[in-house]
Amino acid sequence: MNIAVCVKQTADTESIPKLSSDQSHVSDEGIVWIINPHDESAIEIAIRLRDQCNGSVTLFSIGPERVESALRQGLSMGADEAVHLLTDAMPIDQKIIAELLARRLKSQNIDVIITGEVAIDGGGAQVPQRLAKLLHWSCVTAVEELHIEATSFTARQPVEQGDKIHEGQLPAVIGINRRIMEPRYPSFKGIMKAKRKEIVKESVELESPSYSIESLRLSAPRSEGKVVTYQQGVVDKTIKFLQEKTSVI
Amino acid sequence: MFEITVVGESQGSELVSSTLEACHVASKLSNALGVNWRIIVDEDAANSAINYGSEVISYSIGEEHKQSPDVIASTVTEILEPTKVIVMAATSTGKDLMGRIAQLLSAPLAQDCIGFEIDSGDVLFKRELYGGKVLANVKLSGSPILASFRPRSFTPIDRLDTPAVAQLHSIDILLSEPTVILKPRSQKENLDVTEASIVVSGGRGLQGPENWTILEELTDALGPTATLACSRPVSDEGWRPHNEHVGQTGRSISPDLYIAVGISGATQHIAGISGSKFILAINKDPDAPIFRVADYGIVGDLFQIVPELTSAIRNAHTI
Ligand SMILES: Cc1cc2nc3c(=O)[nH]c(=O)nc-3n(C[C@H](O)[C@H](O)[C@H](O)COP(=O)(O)OP(=O)(O)OC[C@H]3O[C@@H](n4cnc5c(N)ncnc54)[C@H](O)[C@@H]3O)c2cc1C
Repeated sequence: MNIAVCVKQTADTESIPKLSSDQSHVSDEGIVWIINPHDESAIEIAIRLRDQCNGSVTLFSIGPERVESALRQGLSMGADEAVHLLTDAMPIDQKIIAELLARRLKSQNIDVIITGEVAIDGGGAQVPQRLAKLLHWSCVTAVEELHIEATSFTARQPVEQGDKIHEGQLPAVIGINRRIMEPRYPSFKGIMKAKRKEIVKESVELESPSYSIESLRLSAPRSEGKVVTYQQGVVDKTIKFLQEKTSVI
Repeated sequence: MFEITVVGESQGSELVSSTLEACHVASKLSNALGVNWRIIVDEDAANSAINYGSEVISYSIGEEHKQSPDVIASTVTEILEPTKVIVMAATSTGKDLMGRIAQLLSAPLAQDCIGFEIDSGDVLFKRELYGGKVLANVKLSGSPILASFRPRSFTPIDRLDTPAVAQLHSIDILLSEPTVILKPRSQKENLDVTEASIVVSGGRGLQGPENWTILEELTDALGPTATLACSRPVSDEGWRPHNEHVGQTGRSISPDLYIAVGISGATQHIAGISGSKFILAINKDPDAPIFRVADYGIVGDLFQIVPELTSAIRNAHTI
C-alpha cells in the first residue's frame, strides 16, 4: 500500500501572531512552527496502515525553506520519504495548493492520500475535497474512524445529525480529524534515522491566486471582564449582570 | 438570471436553521448587489424552502444518494444556472459539500465566514484565522465564488407572506460509490452546540460523567435554546459524546452566552469559543486562563455555585 500524506506546517497554537509592518500578512517573527495537528494524526494513521500491510508512507508539503523541519519531524515519526514543493512564501489559495499537490501526486503510484481535514491557522477546510475532485478519486473528510482493506475503505464522519458511514473503493483521499488518534512522539532511533534521509526538493511556481487577503487585523482582546470571588449574594449579582448584558436570561 | 444561490441543507422535510441564516446572507447580498437569489434544495424540503425564498429549485436524487456529498455536489453544479455567489451554512455537511462544489466549478471558496461587506462592488468575506486571534477580510476573484457561513453569525431569514412555487429537476445519477449512510444519533436529542444560543460547557473540573446532572439541570433551567458542550479531555475520556467537544479540534461556536464550568481555558479550547458574545466562567483557580477571556468570572467551587445558579435562574423566570 502506497500512502501519501499531505502536511502543512502551521503556527503553534500558543504562538502569538503579529502582523507584518504593512499589515498584509502575519509575520513569521516569533512563531513556533509545528505540523498542523490534524496532519500529524494523519501521519500516525498512515504509519500504522503501512506497518499492517507493507508499502510506504511519503510526505508532501508545500512552502518555504522552513517547512523542511515539519517534514523532518514526520520522517522521524516513521514516514519513509518526503517531498518538499518549495515556494518563496506559503501559499494561502487552497485551489492552487490542491492543484499543485494533484499534479505532483499524479506522477506517483499512490493508493490512498491521507491528510488533515483543516489547517488550524488558515481554516481552509477544502484541500481533501478539491484534491479528490482533481484526481477523480473518492473522498471522505472530517473522518474520526477509518478502516482500510487491500482495495476498499470504510470511514466514519460525524455530522450534526449523527454519523455518516462512507464505504468505497481505493484510491481515495481521506481528510481526518485529530480526534481519530493522538500521534506518537518520534523515538530517538527515529530521529537519528530521519537525519540521514534525503528530502526531495522541487521548486514550484505559484499562479496568481483567486483567494487573497484584502485586510487583516488582530482580534481585540476581549474587554477585561469582571472576576468575583464566590460568597453569599454573588450568584444573584451574576444573574442581574447577565440580564443586563445578554438578551437570553 | 440568478446571481446568488443558497445550497440548502434539510433534515426530513424542513430546512435546518443554519440554512435559514445562509438565506438571510443571500437576501442581504442580493439587496446590496441588486440581483436575485434562490435556494437549491432536496425535493423533500421544497415545501419548507418556498416559505423563505421566492425562487426555489429542488432536485430528486433517490433515497440511497441522499447522504452522498459527491452526488449532491454533482447535482447542484448540474442544475446551477449562471451564478455569481454560492452560499451555504458552514455545518459539517456544508463544509464538506462546498469543497467539492468549489472544485467542480474550479472556483475559490472561503469557509466558515462570520460576516461580509461590500467594497466598491466586490464582496469581502470576514473570516477568523489563527483560532480567532486574527481577523481577515478575504477577496475571492472570478465567477462564481463560494462562501460558507458559520452557524449563528446571522439571524434566520423571516418567512415570506405568500409561499413561492418550487421548480423540480430530476437528475440521472451515474455514481455508485462510495455509498454513504447516516446513523442518526441515538442519545437523547439535545440541540446541536452550533445552534444553541446558550451553551453550558463542562471541563475536567466536573471530575466524572456522574456529575453532569448539575449541568443538565442548569441547561434545563435556561430553557429550550440552551445546550451542553464540553472540553476535549471530557470527550476523550468518554464522559460526554464527541459532538459536544468545542475547540481547535472540535466544534467552533458563537452562542449569545457561553458558561464555562470547571474549564481551565487552554488556547485550544478558546479557539472554538472566541465568537461567543458573553462568556461566564466558574473556576476555583483565580489564575485560570479562562478568566482572561471571560466577561464575568466567579472564583469558587462549581459544585456549590452551579446548583445555586440553577435555582436562582428558575426563580428569576418564575417572577
Ligand atoms: C493539538 C491539540 C488540540 C487540542 N484541541 C482541544 C480542543 O479542541 N478543545 C479543548 O477543550 N481542548 C483541546 N486541547 C486540550 C487543551 O490543551 C487542554 O488540555 C484542555 O482544554 C483542558 O481541558 P479542561 O479545561 O477540561 O481541563 P483542565 O485543564 O484540567 O482544567 C480543569 C479546570 O477545572 C477547575 N476545577 C477543578 N475542580 C473545580 C471545582 N470543584 N470548582 C471549580 N473549578 C474546578 C480547575 O481549576 C481547572 O482550571 C488540545 C490539545 C492539543 C495538544
